[in-house]
Parts: sequence; C-alpha cells; structure tokens
Amino acid sequence: MEPALWAGDWIVVAEVGRGPRVGEIVLLRDPREPERLMLKRVAAVADGACTVLGDRPEESTDSRAFGPVPLGNVLGRALFRYAPIGRIGWLW
Amino acid sequence: MFLSRLLKPTVTASAHCDLPCGVYDPEQARIEAESCYKIIEKYKASTDELFKTRAIVIKEERAELAKHHIDVLWSDYFKPEHVQKYPEITELCWKAAKQCSKVKGSLDLGDAKTLLDMIDKIADVWTKAGGPQATRVQNGVAARA
Repeated sequence: MEPALWAGDWIVVAEVGRGPRVGEIVLLRDPREPERLMLKRVAAVADGACTVLGDRPEESTDSRAFGPVPLGNVLGRALFRYAPIGRIGWLW
Repeated sequence: MFLSRLLKPTVTASAHCDLPCGVYDPEQARIEAESCYKIIEKYKASTDELFKTRAIVIKEERAELAKHHIDVLWSDYFKPEHVQKYPEITELCWKAAKQCSKVKGSLDLGDAKTLLDMIDKIADVWTKAGGPQATRVQNGVAARA
C-alpha cells in the first residue's frame, strides 16, 4: 500500500456506519484466511461485495487474486495516521 | 515511554503482500505427489517397522507440500481471465487439494495415482493458459520440452 501506508505506521481505523466507498482505504479480513487482517483500497462496490486493490498492483495480492470481498469482511475505514510523527495526517 | 506504550496499536494489519516471484508450474506439485506414490510402493515392499513408520511420516509431509503447491497455483497463478476461459480449473484445483488430504492418510496406490492424474489435468490447463511461457525462465522450459 505504499506510498499511502508504510510498514510500521500506527493508524486509527473506525467503523463509519456506512458501506465502504471507492477510493477509501479499508481494514478487511482476508477472504482466504479470515484471521488475517489487510488494508486495501476500495476500487468498486457492487452486489454486497467490494473489489479491493493494493496501491502497487505489481506487488499486491488483492481482488485480482482472491476476487471481490463480501462487505461483511470489511471491518472499518482507515482514518488517521498518528505515528511516525513526521507522517501524521488524515488518510484521505 | 509510557505514552508510547499507551498509544501503541493493539492490532496489526498487513498492507503489503507477498512479492510474487511469478514462477508457477504444476510440476512442483507433481514431484511431491510422485514421492507419495513411490513411498507407498516402498512401504508395501518393506517389512521393517521403523522404515514403514518413517515412510508414513514422510508421505504425509509430501502430500501436504503437494497441496501447498496446488493452492499457490490456484490462488496466485490462475487469474479471473483464466477461469473465464477454462472454468473447469476451479474444480480441478479444489478436488486435487482434497485428494492430497486423502493421500496423506492413505496407503492405497490408487489414491496416489488419482492425485497424479488430477495434477496432470491441472497441468493441461496451465499449458493451455500459456503457463510455460508466462511463468518459467526460458532455459527451464527448453530443458523440459
């Protein structure tokens, strides 16, 4: 998900009380391995599922590999990065 | 220090994924499945209890590896466009992975042979889907042909 997110970033994720929208970064359960949490960007939402893609398609395993993810797997939206200090800011 | 501990996130999510090397070949699964086949043969030919115990342990490992390679092929190599063109691949991979589990617990040569046949069917689709050209380093393909 670079450059939007870097390994080791500390971020706030929250349920936003509505479905995910295109362009947002969401926290979701990997449909292949539900205990694994992932952060991906929403590329499309349709029929109770969303297509998610990494920001670096050549290195990302995303909906191209595991298909659209049911909306029930989406746990929340990434809102804010609070560390590292130099990169504090909203994630939209 | 205290503040940092307080603010430290409690949940870790992965934002980056595996970097795929892009090399996929059903042969990898086949070799493990062949090991299972040969191990069952050797098990049946032996009267050495220690050897037979080791054979079972190793066969289970090999069957698990075959399953792993089939899963990787299915989840990482085959893309939606392949599935559209060769819809049978979903069931082939699924059934082959299940057959690996069967071979894991079986000492029936027939089960191991069935697994080999299933992997060969996956290899047919992989070849038709351009796998050899798309995934193997050139020299390797030439050496296999």
